[in-house]
Amino acid sequence: MTLISKLSGAVSGLAILCAATAAQAEVLFWSTQARPVEEAQAMRDTVLSGFDGGVDYQPNEDGPWLTRIKAELEAGQGSIEVMGALHGNFSAMNPDDLQDLGDLGLSSVSDTFNSLAMLGTDQMQYIPWMQASYIMAANKEALQYLPEGADINALTYDQLIAWTANVEEATGEKKFGFPAGPKGLKHRFFQGYLYPSYTDGVVRTFASPEAVTAWEKFSELWSHTNPASTNFSFMQEQLLSGDAWIVFDHTSRLAQAFNERPDDFVAFPAPAGPTGRGFMPVLAGLAIPRTAPDMDAAKALVGYMMQPETQIATLRATNFFPVVDVELPDDLPPSVRAAGDAVAKMSAAPDANPGLLPAGLGDRGGDFDRVFVDTFERIILAGQPIDAVLEDQKKTLARIMEETGAPCWAPDAASEGPCPVE
Amino acid sequence: MTAVTTDANPQDARKAGRIVYLAAVVLLCAWVLVPLYFLLINTLSSPEAVNSFPKSFFPAFDLGSLTFFANFGGMLSALKNSIIVAALTMVLSILIGAPAGYALSRFDFRGKELFRLLILLTRAFPLPLLALPLAVLFIRTGLDDTALGLALVHTTLAIPFAVLITFSLFSGIPIELEEAAWTLGCTRLTAFTKVVLPLILPGITASAIFAFVISWNEVFAAAVLTIENRTLTAFLLQTLGEAPLHLKFAGGFILVVPALIFIFAVRKYLFAMWGIANR
Repeated sequence: MTLISKLSGAVSGLAILCAATAAQAEVLFWSTQARPVEEAQAMRDTVLSGFDGGVDYQPNEDGPWLTRIKAELEAGQGSIEVMGALHGNFSAMNPDDLQDLGDLGLSSVSDTFNSLAMLGTDQMQYIPWMQASYIMAANKEALQYLPEGADINALTYDQLIAWTANVEEATGEKKFGFPAGPKGLKHRFFQGYLYPSYTDGVVRTFASPEAVTAWEKFSELWSHTNPASTNFSFMQEQLLSGDAWIVFDHTSRLAQAFNERPDDFVAFPAPAGPTGRGFMPVLAGLAIPRTAPDMDAAKALVGYMMQPETQIATLRATNFFPVVDVELPDDLPPSVRAAGDAVAKMSAAPDANPGLLPAGLGDRGGDFDRVFVDTFERIILAGQPIDAVLEDQKKTLARIMEETGAPCWAPDAASEGPCPVE
Repeated sequence: MTAVTTDANPQDARKAGRIVYLAAVVLLCAWVLVPLYFLLINTLSSPEAVNSFPKSFFPAFDLGSLTFFANFGGMLSALKNSIIVAALTMVLSILIGAPAGYALSRFDFRGKELFRLLILLTRAFPLPLLALPLAVLFIRTGLDDTALGLALVHTTLAIPFAVLITFSLFSGIPIELEEAAWTLGCTRLTAFTKVVLPLILPGITASAIFAFVISWNEVFAAAVLTIENRTLTAFLLQTLGEAPLHLKFAGGFILVVPALIFIFAVRKYLFAMWGIANR
């Protein structure tokens, strides 16, 4: 009997606690960005604290983020006011589910970003919010092994390979680090760096003879790469632990290394190949779902996020750079200075060859990435012949392009209709 | 022929057996304790120490990582939500699971075997698949973003364990005990509460622990179905995946400790179960 009375006591106690949940009127900001705890904290404390009425900032992984917003759209009512995510997250959604934002009068300074944000319609479906890119970073100890005559700010892929080979010879360890882990962003290296640098294209040139050369060069680089790279997803960890001396990764995934030991590392532009210095800008945006309960508050928050002061605060918090015209202050954290410098050098390089984010793929963006990941795994990890693998993967790629009807994006030459795989 | 094999001194054999036994105990303890110990050390180390190698065996008592979480907004309310949801899950899964286990062990009915199989099916579908329709339903019915709604989902996940554990325990208690109680003046209900219930209390505890741990560890449903009333796991785990290493350790430590405290608190009921099994 005592047990039952204890249980019933516990149940009623819980019921009272449940009923005591307070109602809040904060604007719910549902984001896939600024997810790491420190960034989330900085977003809440420094970026969003200045917004009148308060913001409930909730960073999520892509899966729960998309599932929740889909559920709210399907139910026809919801609590999410503002969504923050990468271009790829939004392009996987139906533009009809996003509020047209053209009447806000907000846009970025980049026309490319503004047209990406229309998601194939004639209205802004999201507002470009912040940008980043992928760069190279190295431990200063590795600099002494740079091949003769090489300028770290204008490296070529051949020089990078020679450099990593020198390091291996001198230390006996493979010290190039590549984010090939499960959460690593390796596919972006192939789409935005290797392919544009060697083939001046991504889709059209996927299985071209130049692409074969590109993969041969990459396997050469891989032979000097720390074999544990298949577990690396955030190269700042390996830079700090010394497992890798020369690395490639997203600027915000290198930030911690520069902030913790600014004097030990250098950031520098990605290397160049025969067809230029390929690099890929990363774009995040802000959107409002059609189910947002308080449209005015949501629009006010989007407007607040685009103010120059907020953009600078966001830069400090997340290492993502402003997309509007701002005067950058001098007292930025070391990671921002290092990365900003490298990105500026990379985009201003005479041989710069920017590769844009895949566009127009809708919800097949993941499949598109998978083609490159599979190609990497088969050629590099499984050692299959390059020609055969490219011929094989080409079919999958062509099918994705035909089914989505996505036209070519830079650096591929423009196409009428779906981008052809030549 | 046999003389060769009888050489072994029985005392030596017993000693060797003891050593093997002790080694096995030490190995099993180390299996559990060493990772927890490293978690503790790294939680109490400075970021530089966490990234360096070799690791020190003694914590440096650098509270930087833990202080960060102490100031991390919303931790306490997330912890409260986690406890509420886990407790509700525990109560619900036992209230539903134990009678089902009793019925399965005491009564014969058509489709009994099928029912036992079906009950496992609640675990056959991955949550990411179920979360979308569930969330739509919850939003429409108003269960969305409540502890009760999430506890219902977690209860579904925990029920197979509750049913199967209590079923095997009820089956281990002879029906004669109950029959004797009936002849001595008990009703069906009092025979159950006075005779059977005390005997299966350890089993109930075991299923309660399972329910608690399942609810405590579940991320996906919690992340989709709660927004303002987030559980600690949904709140922390999603942001930890990409956090720096020292915060990963500290966050992991914070997630592990409440579960450990809970299991410690109920351990005496759990250990009594092995007492029953040995009788």
